[in-house]
Amino acid sequence: MSILRRFTFSILRSVLTLLLITLTLYATVMLTPPETLASLYMPRRTSPRMTEEMYQTMLDDMIDKYHLDDPFPVQYYYWARKLLEGNWGYSPNLQEDVFTGLVRRAPATLELTFYAMLIYFPLGLLSGVIAGTRKKGVADRLFRMTAFVATSLTPMILAIIMMVVFYITLRWFAPGRLGTTYALMVSAEGYKAYTGFVTIDGLLNQNPALSLDALRHLAMPALTLAFAQWAMLGRITRASIIEENEKDYIIAGRAKGLRERTLAWRYALGNAAAPVLTHSILSAASLMTNVFVVELIFNYPGLSTVGVKSLAFIPDAPSAVGFAIYSTVIVLILTTFLDFLKVVIDPRFREST
Amino acid sequence: MGIARKFYSRWQNWFGLFIIIAFVLTAIFAPLLSPKHLETQEIPVQSYLRVPQPPGPGKPLGTLPDQSSVFDALVWGTRDALKFGVGVTAIVFLFGTLIGTLAAFFGGRVNKLLMWITDSFLAFPIIAGVVFFNQLNNTMLLNLLRETEFAGLPLDFIENSGVLESLSPLLSPLMKLNPAALAFILFMWMPYARVMNASVTRLKHVEFVLAAKTSGVKNFRVMSHHLIPNSLTPVLVMAAKDVGALVVLQTTFSFIGLGHPTPWAITLLSGRDWIFSPKGIVTYWWVFLPVTIALILFGIGWNLLGDGLIEAMNPRSTQD
Repeated sequence: MSILRRFTFSILRSVLTLLLITLTLYATVMLTPPETLASLYMPRRTSPRMTEEMYQTMLDDMIDKYHLDDPFPVQYYYWARKLLEGNWGYSPNLQEDVFTGLVRRAPATLELTFYAMLIYFPLGLLSGVIAGTRKKGVADRLFRMTAFVATSLTPMILAIIMMVVFYITLRWFAPGRLGTTYALMVSAEGYKAYTGFVTIDGLLNQNPALSLDALRHLAMPALTLAFAQWAMLGRITRASIIEENEKDYIIAGRAKGLRERTLAWRYALGNAAAPVLTHSILSAASLMTNVFVVELIFNYPGLSTVGVKSLAFIPDAPSAVGFAIYSTVIVLILTTFLDFLKVVIDPRFREST
Repeated sequence: MGIARKFYSRWQNWFGLFIIIAFVLTAIFAPLLSPKHLETQEIPVQSYLRVPQPPGPGKPLGTLPDQSSVFDALVWGTRDALKFGVGVTAIVFLFGTLIGTLAAFFGGRVNKLLMWITDSFLAFPIIAGVVFFNQLNNTMLLNLLRETEFAGLPLDFIENSGVLESLSPLLSPLMKLNPAALAFILFMWMPYARVMNASVTRLKHVEFVLAAKTSGVKNFRVMSHHLIPNSLTPVLVMAAKDVGALVVLQTTFSFIGLGHPTPWAITLLSGRDWIFSPKGIVTYWWVFLPVTIALILFGIGWNLLGDGLIEAMNPRSTQD
């Protein structure tokens, strides 16, 4: 199978997955009365002085208009069509359209995820290979010790400690996304959001101080996230390197007189990459969950705001559903990308299905 | 070497087992350890004092800003943690194992379909599930309340006022329903299904299973007597680790305001402002340290148990 066909297949799979998940979500929402369903279509909040009867007639109209009394497939069809048109409903808690709200907040989440990955991916691979090639050596013991601490210290506790050390005591880093003065710069006229990543946009706008401030705010969430993920990635890498090291081709290479470093980095890692990437694909959703958790603890205004704010005061089905679908889409994009990477790196996946 | 001997020969396993037993005993004897729990909850002593009190007589680990005892929260929280962890893990374990086994046993298209569904569910972030079920629960509650005279009042007020039973019979169970548990049950069974599927598929073509099949043993009996018992080890290990992981995750969600509040999360939350002050973590250590240590130990204990089981049951592993 060529790379292209494999890639198309992988995208198709993601679309089907999304279909299944939205079907499940909608089926669950259908457990609630049609009034809740109507709120999925509710337009920008109508006048607060609306009387109870007016509200009731509006609800009835909507139930009629959007087929909310019909059987599941019909309802799902109309709902899915709305989603594709970009009409994800209006959220009374966010006071904006859910889709606009999500799109506006997505860059913040992606920026955090990007920097965390920038830290933990190379470090995880590096420490995994080092620990794996020196099994039971000092480096290996040290790695296993640290990784054990990292996984035991859950993101929540690590975040609290980080706040105390780096924010309260040392004043190096800060929670949130930007300081007050810098937040004004971003919303001021003349500032252009090229990428949505403040750290990069600051440089593009010839405002390095802004980038620096953004980094100062990113440091704690990114490090917290990276620490937990690093331990997991390192462990998987270590395990697959150890497995590869027992194989014949490595022994043959060693007998031939290849240097240990070449063996580990050029041969073993290349073949160990597949299980590592597979694991990353399978745990992409849990990475997303961790991103949101860290965002919320550090008050970082990313996508998770939509989810949590939806629980604030007024029942707000559109933003809860929108949050679920949007984060699933991000996970699917990430998995498709990693799947593609796997095929590019490892030729074995190009031949079999 | 026998599995049991191998298991008991490593100090890490003893440590893990010791931690778990300590937690279980604490949970069982909670009423003996902190008998005043109910009284202190109802009568907040010196409620004008909004400063956490240091450990002293009658309050072994000090108090929170609202003057409730940290020790009580710690002891009674153990009960909640164990109930949640073991209960949810058991359901997830049963469900996942069943799906994995059925898919592997029937093979072919059924297997492909079921495993595709499993993989699809893996793409769903659990936190979105918790938000979603929380929302659904709230909406249903408010809809039920709409017809009563309590319409428009905040939910936690109604919950605390004790009028629940007199209202709709559905209200009380809905209030008690834990959205986090529901989300975990729906979105955490997939790894079990996958692992179980892999081991049953491998076992299906081994001679003793084929022999059972050819001698006319019923499908159900093949599954229950041959396939399942022989492929349980890896999923059991996963379950052991999950008990700790689920509780840690639930406490985290509870800490950021999702799902039902647990005693441990409440302690961390209400002590948060006192920790986040200069030198606060040194001065007010008791609002942070006991619960943190309990949570870390809870995670470590189950994790060590899982690791120990892998080592002990893996015939290839050697002593190091």
